[in-house]
Amino acid sequence: MTTASPSVFLLMVNGQVESAQFPEYDDLYCKYCFVYGQDWAPTAGLEEGISQITSKSQDVRQALVWNFPIDVTFKSTNPYGWPQIVLSVYGPDVFGNDVVRGYGAVHVPFSPGRHKRTIPMFVPESTSKLQKFTSWFMGRRPEYTDPKVVAQGEGREVTRVRSQGFVTLLFNVVTKDMRKLGYDTGPADTQGVSGPSLPQGFPQ
Amino acid sequence: MAEVHVIGQIMGASGFSESSLFCKWGIHTGAAWKLLSGVREGQTQVDTPQIGEMAYWSHPIDLHFATKGLQGWPRLHFQVWSQDSFGRCQLAGYGFCHVPSSPGTHQLACPTWRPLGSWQEQLARAFVGGGPQLLHGDTIYSGADRYRLHTAAGGTVHLEISLLLRHFDRYGVEC
Repeated sequence: MTTASPSVFLLMVNGQVESAQFPEYDDLYCKYCFVYGQDWAPTAGLEEGISQITSKSQDVRQALVWNFPIDVTFKSTNPYGWPQIVLSVYGPDVFGNDVVRGYGAVHVPFSPGRHKRTIPMFVPESTSKLQKFTSWFMGRRPEYTDPKVVAQGEGREVTRVRSQGFVTLLFNVVTKDMRKLGYDTGPADTQGVSGPSLPQGFPQ
Repeated sequence: MAEVHVIGQIMGASGFSESSLFCKWGIHTGAAWKLLSGVREGQTQVDTPQIGEMAYWSHPIDLHFATKGLQGWPRLHFQVWSQDSFGRCQLAGYGFCHVPSSPGTHQLACPTWRPLGSWQEQLARAFVGGGPQLLHGDTIYSGADRYRLHTAAGGTVHLEISLLLRHFDRYGVEC
Protein backbone atom coordinates (compact mmCIF):
# COMPACT_ATOMS: atom_id res chain seq x y z
CA MET A 1 0.00 0.00 0.00
CA THR A 2 1.51 3.31 -0.93
CA THR A 3 1.15 6.16 1.52
CA ALA A 4 0.04 9.33 -0.21
CA SER A 5 2.30 12.27 0.54
CA PRO A 6 0.42 14.84 2.57
CA SER A 7 -0.59 18.13 1.03
CA VAL A 8 -1.72 19.77 4.25
CA PHE A 9 0.19 20.31 7.49
CA LEU A 10 -1.30 20.91 10.93
CA LEU A 11 -0.30 23.38 13.62
CA MET A 12 -1.58 22.80 17.15
CA VAL A 13 -1.15 25.58 19.67
CA ASN A 14 -2.05 25.49 23.29
CA GLY A 15 -0.99 27.65 26.16
CA GLN A 16 -2.17 30.62 28.16
CA VAL A 17 -2.30 34.37 28.37
CA GLU A 18 -0.37 34.36 31.61
CA SER A 19 -0.08 37.84 33.07
CA ALA A 20 0.34 41.52 32.33
CA GLN A 21 2.40 44.46 33.53
CA PHE A 22 0.63 47.81 33.33
CA PRO A 23 2.07 50.10 36.00
CA GLU A 24 -0.61 52.80 35.67
CA TYR A 25 -3.80 50.76 35.26
CA ASP A 26 -5.80 48.21 37.23
CA ASP A 27 -8.91 46.00 36.86
CA LEU A 28 -8.09 44.81 33.36
CA TYR A 29 -9.51 42.09 31.10
CA CYS A 30 -8.21 40.94 27.77
CA LYS A 31 -9.63 39.58 24.53
CA TYR A 32 -7.63 37.46 22.13
CA CYS A 33 -8.26 36.45 18.52
CA PHE A 34 -6.20 34.83 15.79
CA VAL A 35 -5.38 36.41 12.43
CA TYR A 36 -4.16 34.16 9.64
CA GLY A 37 -3.71 34.13 5.86
CA GLN A 38 -6.02 32.78 3.19
CA ASP A 39 -4.38 29.38 3.05
CA TRP A 40 -5.06 28.70 6.72
CA ALA A 41 -8.19 27.39 8.40
CA PRO A 42 -8.89 26.56 12.05
CA THR A 43 -9.94 22.95 12.52
CA ALA A 44 -10.43 22.66 16.27
CA GLY A 45 -10.50 24.80 19.36
CA LEU A 46 -11.54 28.38 19.93
CA GLU A 47 -10.33 31.23 17.78
CA GLU A 48 -11.23 33.97 20.20
CA GLY A 49 -11.98 34.50 23.86
CA ILE A 50 -12.52 37.04 26.62
CA SER A 51 -10.80 36.66 29.97
CA GLN A 52 -11.85 37.51 33.51
CA ILE A 53 -11.22 40.93 35.07
CA THR A 54 -8.10 40.92 37.20
CA SER A 55 -6.82 43.35 39.83
CA LYS A 56 -3.28 43.97 40.98
CA SER A 57 -2.16 41.80 43.86
CA GLN A 58 -1.69 43.53 47.21
CA ASP A 59 1.89 42.37 47.65
CA VAL A 60 5.04 44.01 46.37
CA ARG A 61 4.86 42.23 42.96
CA GLN A 62 1.74 44.16 41.87
CA ALA A 63 1.02 41.33 39.44
CA LEU A 64 -1.96 41.20 37.07
CA VAL A 65 -2.64 37.51 36.41
CA TRP A 66 -5.17 36.03 33.99
CA ASN A 67 -3.95 32.46 33.46
CA PHE A 68 -6.40 32.32 30.52
CA PRO A 69 -6.22 29.17 28.34
CA ILE A 70 -5.58 29.14 24.59
CA ASP A 71 -6.24 25.98 22.57
CA VAL A 72 -6.52 25.96 18.78
CA THR A 73 -5.48 23.83 15.82
CA PHE A 74 -4.94 25.12 12.28
CA LYS A 75 -4.42 23.35 8.97
CA SER A 76 -2.70 24.91 5.98
CA THR A 77 -0.96 24.30 2.68
CA ASN A 78 1.43 27.26 2.89
CA PRO A 79 3.35 28.89 5.75
CA TYR A 80 2.59 32.31 4.29
CA GLY A 81 0.03 33.97 6.57
CA TRP A 82 1.29 32.11 9.67
CA PRO A 83 -1.23 32.76 12.46
CA GLN A 84 -0.76 35.67 14.79
CA ILE A 85 -2.51 36.13 18.12
CA VAL A 86 -3.92 39.63 18.61
CA LEU A 87 -4.54 40.75 22.18
CA SER A 88 -6.65 43.72 23.30
CA VAL A 89 -6.64 44.78 26.94
CA TYR A 90 -9.45 46.90 28.39
CA GLY A 91 -10.05 48.53 31.76
CA PRO A 92 -12.13 51.22 33.47
CA ASP A 93 -11.08 54.86 33.43
CA VAL A 94 -11.58 57.29 36.29
CA PHE A 95 -15.22 57.88 35.33
CA GLY A 96 -16.05 54.16 35.12
CA ASN A 97 -16.15 53.82 31.30
CA ASP A 98 -14.54 50.80 29.66
CA VAL A 99 -11.58 52.02 27.62
CA VAL A 100 -8.84 50.25 25.71
CA ARG A 101 -5.49 49.99 27.52
CA GLY A 102 -3.43 48.25 24.86
CA TYR A 103 -3.26 46.23 21.66
CA GLY A 104 -0.50 43.80 20.78
CA ALA A 105 0.20 40.98 18.37
CA VAL A 106 2.76 38.23 17.96
CA HIS A 107 3.21 35.29 15.58
CA VAL A 108 2.54 31.84 16.99
CA PRO A 109 6.02 30.30 17.40
CA PHE A 110 7.28 28.20 14.51
CA SER A 111 9.25 25.39 16.02
CA PRO A 112 7.66 22.68 18.16
CA GLY A 113 8.22 23.06 21.86
CA ARG A 114 7.53 25.41 24.71
CA HIS A 115 7.89 29.16 24.18
CA LYS A 116 7.38 32.22 26.33
CA ARG A 117 6.69 35.56 24.69
CA THR A 118 6.37 38.99 26.32
CA ILE A 119 4.75 41.47 23.97
CA PRO A 120 4.41 45.26 24.27
CA MET A 121 0.91 46.76 24.31
CA PHE A 122 0.16 50.13 22.76
CA VAL A 123 -2.86 52.40 22.29
CA PRO A 124 -3.57 54.79 19.43
CA GLU A 125 -3.12 58.40 20.37
CA SER A 126 -4.78 61.52 18.98
CA THR A 127 -2.51 64.24 17.69
CA SER A 128 -4.20 67.34 19.03
CA LYS A 129 -4.26 68.23 22.73
CA LEU A 130 -7.90 69.24 22.55
CA GLN A 131 -8.84 65.82 21.19
CA LYS A 132 -6.88 64.17 23.99
CA PHE A 133 -8.73 66.16 26.64
CA THR A 134 -12.14 65.57 25.04
CA SER A 135 -11.59 61.85 24.77
CA TRP A 136 -10.41 61.65 28.39
CA PHE A 137 -13.41 63.61 29.54
CA MET A 138 -16.04 61.80 27.48
CA GLY A 139 -14.55 58.34 28.04
CA ARG A 140 -14.30 57.66 24.31
CA ARG A 141 -10.66 57.01 23.64
CA PRO A 142 -9.24 56.40 20.15
CA GLU A 143 -9.44 52.71 19.38
CA TYR A 144 -9.22 50.48 16.32
CA THR A 145 -12.57 49.54 14.77
CA ASP A 146 -11.13 46.11 14.09
CA PRO A 147 -8.25 44.99 16.38
CA LYS A 148 -7.02 42.71 13.59
CA VAL A 149 -5.35 45.70 11.96
CA VAL A 150 -2.58 45.33 14.57
CA ALA A 151 -1.54 42.09 12.86
CA GLN A 152 -1.08 43.73 9.48
CA GLY A 153 1.67 45.90 8.13
CA GLU A 154 -0.31 47.99 5.66
CA GLY A 155 -2.10 51.13 6.71
CA ARG A 156 -0.19 51.70 9.92
CA GLU A 157 2.01 54.48 8.61
CA VAL A 158 -0.31 57.20 9.76
CA THR A 159 -1.08 55.90 13.24
CA ARG A 160 0.52 57.41 16.34
CA VAL A 161 0.59 55.14 19.36
CA ARG A 162 1.80 55.10 22.93
CA SER A 163 3.20 51.89 24.38
CA GLN A 164 2.24 51.46 28.01
CA GLY A 165 2.44 47.87 29.16
CA PHE A 166 3.42 44.25 28.49
CA VAL A 167 1.60 40.92 28.38
CA THR A 168 3.30 37.56 28.85
CA LEU A 169 2.07 34.52 26.90
CA LEU A 170 3.11 30.88 27.03
CA PHE A 171 2.80 28.60 24.00
CA ASN A 172 3.25 24.89 23.40
CA VAL A 173 3.48 24.18 19.68
CA VAL A 174 3.10 20.85 17.87
CA THR A 175 3.25 20.52 14.10
CA LYS A 176 2.34 17.58 11.90
CA ASP A 177 3.73 16.77 8.45
CA MET A 178 5.78 19.94 8.02
CA ARG A 179 8.96 17.94 7.62
CA LYS A 180 7.27 15.56 5.14
CA LEU A 181 6.37 18.54 3.00
CA GLY A 182 9.99 19.63 2.96
CA TYR A 183 9.92 22.43 5.54
CA ASP A 184 12.79 22.90 7.96
CA THR A 185 11.84 24.95 10.99
CA GLY A 186 15.17 24.76 12.76
CA PRO A 187 15.99 23.58 16.27
CA ALA A 188 13.20 23.28 18.79
CA ASP A 189 13.29 26.26 21.11
CA THR A 190 12.31 24.54 24.35
CA GLN A 191 12.00 26.81 27.39
CA GLY A 192 13.08 29.70 25.23
CA VAL A 193 12.34 33.07 26.71
CA SER A 194 12.22 35.77 24.10
CA GLY A 195 10.59 39.04 23.36
CA PRO A 196 11.72 42.56 23.97
CA SER A 197 13.96 43.02 26.98
CA LEU A 198 11.93 44.58 29.75
CA PRO A 199 13.08 47.85 31.24
CA GLN A 200 14.57 47.81 34.72
CA GLY A 201 12.12 47.33 37.49
CA PHE A 202 9.94 44.71 35.82
CA PRO A 203 10.13 41.11 37.02
CA GLN A 204 11.34 38.62 34.36
CA MET B 1 13.12 25.56 -6.62
CA ALA B 2 13.93 26.12 -3.00
CA GLU B 3 11.65 28.32 -0.93
CA VAL B 4 12.35 30.60 1.99
CA HIS B 5 9.77 32.04 4.39
CA VAL B 6 10.85 35.09 6.38
CA ILE B 7 8.26 35.63 9.11
CA GLY B 8 8.63 37.83 12.16
CA GLN B 9 8.30 41.29 13.61
CA ILE B 10 10.21 44.54 13.73
CA MET B 11 9.83 44.83 17.49
CA GLY B 12 11.10 48.34 18.09
CA ALA B 13 14.11 50.54 18.59
CA SER B 14 16.19 51.67 21.54
CA GLY B 15 19.14 53.92 22.16
CA PHE B 16 17.97 56.87 20.07
CA SER B 17 18.04 60.35 21.57
CA GLU B 18 14.58 61.19 20.24
CA SER B 19 11.49 59.44 21.56
CA SER B 20 8.68 59.40 18.95
CA LEU B 21 10.11 57.04 16.35
CA PHE B 22 8.95 55.20 13.26
CA CYS B 23 10.77 53.09 10.75
CA LYS B 24 10.62 52.64 6.98
CA TRP B 25 11.80 49.18 6.11
CA GLY B 26 12.48 47.32 2.90
CA ILE B 27 14.02 44.07 1.72
CA HIS B 28 16.58 43.75 -1.06
CA THR B 29 17.42 40.48 -2.79
CA GLY B 30 19.60 39.33 -5.65
CA ALA B 31 18.40 38.48 -9.14
CA ALA B 32 17.91 34.77 -8.42
CA TRP B 33 15.23 35.47 -5.80
CA LYS B 34 11.55 35.92 -6.58
CA LEU B 35 9.00 37.24 -4.11
CA LEU B 36 5.93 34.99 -4.21
CA SER B 37 3.81 36.61 -1.48
CA GLY B 38 4.13 39.45 0.95
CA VAL B 39 4.95 43.14 0.73
CA ARG B 40 8.54 44.08 0.10
CA GLU B 41 8.56 47.33 2.04
CA GLY B 42 6.53 49.29 4.50
CA GLN B 43 6.43 51.85 7.24
CA THR B 44 5.64 51.26 10.88
CA GLN B 45 3.48 53.22 13.30
CA VAL B 46 4.90 56.11 15.32
CA ASP B 47 5.36 55.12 18.96
CA THR B 48 5.92 57.34 21.97
CA PRO B 49 6.87 55.07 24.86
CA GLN B 50 5.39 55.64 28.31
CA ILE B 51 7.49 53.04 30.10
CA GLY B 52 11.22 52.94 29.55
CA GLU B 53 12.91 54.34 26.50
CA MET B 54 12.35 51.60 23.89
CA ALA B 55 9.84 52.51 21.17
CA TYR B 56 7.70 49.48 20.21
CA TRP B 57 6.37 48.94 16.71
CA SER B 58 5.45 45.21 16.59
CA HIS B 59 5.35 45.47 12.81
CA PRO B 60 4.74 42.06 11.17
CA ILE B 61 6.89 40.81 8.31
CA ASP B 62 5.69 37.82 6.27
CA LEU B 63 7.56 37.12 3.03
CA HIS B 64 7.67 34.06 0.81
CA PHE B 65 10.59 33.78 -1.61
CA ALA B 66 11.48 31.20 -4.24
CA THR B 67 15.14 31.03 -5.16
CA LYS B 68 17.38 29.42 -7.76
CA GLY B 69 20.67 30.37 -6.11
CA LEU B 70 22.32 31.44 -2.89
CA GLN B 71 23.70 34.73 -4.24
CA GLY B 72 21.93 37.85 -3.14
CA TRP B 73 20.65 36.49 0.18
CA PRO B 74 17.92 38.90 1.36
CA ARG B 75 18.89 41.99 3.31
CA LEU B 76 16.50 44.03 5.41
CA HIS B 77 17.23 47.74 5.46
CA PHE B 78 15.78 50.39 7.75
CA GLN B 79 15.45 54.14 7.99
CA VAL B 80 14.48 55.26 11.47
CA TRP B 81 12.85 58.67 11.70
CA SER B 82 11.57 60.70 14.62
CA GLN B 83 8.39 62.75 14.49
CA ASP B 84 7.81 65.72 16.76
CA SER B 85 4.50 67.04 18.06
CA PHE B 86 4.12 69.31 15.03
CA GLY B 87 4.33 66.39 12.65
CA ARG B 88 7.80 67.19 11.28
CA CYS B 89 10.07 64.22 10.61
CA GLN B 90 13.81 64.07 11.16
CA LEU B 91 16.18 61.29 10.26
CA ALA B 92 17.46 59.31 13.24
CA GLY B 93 19.44 56.53 11.57
CA TYR B 94 20.00 54.14 8.69
CA GLY B 95 20.79 50.46 9.15
CA PHE B 96 20.66 47.08 7.44
CA CYS B 97 21.05 43.46 8.39
CA HIS B 98 21.03 40.21 6.45
CA VAL B 99 18.12 37.87 7.02
CA PRO B 100 19.59 34.95 9.04
CA SER B 101 20.64 31.94 7.00
CA SER B 102 19.82 29.13 9.40
CA PRO B 103 16.24 28.01 10.03
CA GLY B 104 14.67 28.87 13.37
CA THR B 105 13.86 31.96 15.39
CA HIS B 106 16.50 34.67 15.78
CA GLN B 107 16.71 37.87 17.80
CA LEU B 108 18.48 40.52 15.74
CA ALA B 109 19.83 43.85 16.92
CA CYS B 110 20.69 46.07 14.00
CA PRO B 111 22.91 49.10 14.69
CA THR B 112 22.18 52.35 12.87
CA TRP B 113 24.14 55.40 11.77
CA ARG B 114 23.32 58.80 10.45
CA PRO B 115 25.33 61.03 8.14
CA LEU B 116 27.08 64.01 9.71
CA GLY B 117 27.41 67.13 7.70
CA SER B 118 29.73 70.06 8.14
CA TRP B 119 29.92 71.75 11.56
CA GLN B 120 27.45 74.37 10.36
CA GLU B 121 24.94 71.66 9.44
CA GLN B 122 25.43 69.95 12.78
CA LEU B 123 24.81 73.20 14.61
CA ALA B 124 21.70 73.88 12.56
CA ARG B 125 20.45 70.35 13.29
CA ALA B 126 20.80 70.91 17.02
CA PHE B 127 18.70 74.07 16.91
CA VAL B 128 16.31 73.77 13.99
CA GLY B 129 16.35 70.08 13.10
CA GLY B 130 16.78 68.54 9.68
CA GLY B 131 20.23 67.43 8.68
CA PRO B 132 21.73 65.58 5.72
CA GLN B 133 20.06 62.50 4.25
CA LEU B 134 21.21 59.98 1.68
CA LEU B 135 20.23 60.67 -1.91
CA HIS B 136 20.19 57.02 -2.92
CA GLY B 137 18.68 54.50 -0.56
CA ASP B 138 20.84 51.63 -1.75
CA THR B 139 23.90 53.03 0.02
CA ILE B 140 22.27 51.73 3.20
CA TYR B 141 22.87 48.10 2.25
CA SER B 142 25.70 48.28 -0.29
CA GLY B 143 29.35 48.91 0.31
CA ALA B 144 30.11 50.90 -2.81
CA ASP B 145 30.81 54.62 -2.31
CA ARG B 146 30.65 54.37 1.47
CA TYR B 147 34.12 55.85 1.74
CA ARG B 148 32.69 59.27 0.98
CA LEU B 149 30.57 59.35 4.13
CA HIS B 150 31.32 60.58 7.64
CA THR B 151 28.69 59.25 10.02
CA ALA B 152 27.73 59.09 13.68
CA ALA B 153 26.07 56.21 15.51
CA GLY B 154 22.34 56.12 16.12
CA GLY B 155 20.43 53.60 18.26
CA THR B 156 19.55 49.94 17.62
CA VAL B 157 16.60 48.37 15.78
CA HIS B 158 15.39 45.13 17.38
CA LEU B 159 13.82 42.37 15.30
CA GLU B 160 12.62 38.85 15.87
CA ILE B 161 12.83 36.95 12.59
CA SER B 162 12.03 33.29 11.99
CA LEU B 163 13.19 31.46 8.94
CA LEU B 164 11.50 28.44 7.36
CA LEU B 165 13.37 26.75 4.55
CA ARG B 166 11.91 24.30 2.08
CA HIS B 167 13.72 21.77 -0.13
CA PHE B 168 17.17 23.11 0.72
CA ASP B 169 18.35 19.59 1.48
CA ARG B 170 17.32 18.44 -2.01
CA TYR B 171 19.96 20.71 -3.47
CA GLY B 172 22.58 19.74 -0.95
CA VAL B 173 22.65 23.08 0.81
CA GLU B 174 23.66 22.89 4.47
CA CYS B 175 22.45 25.62 6.79
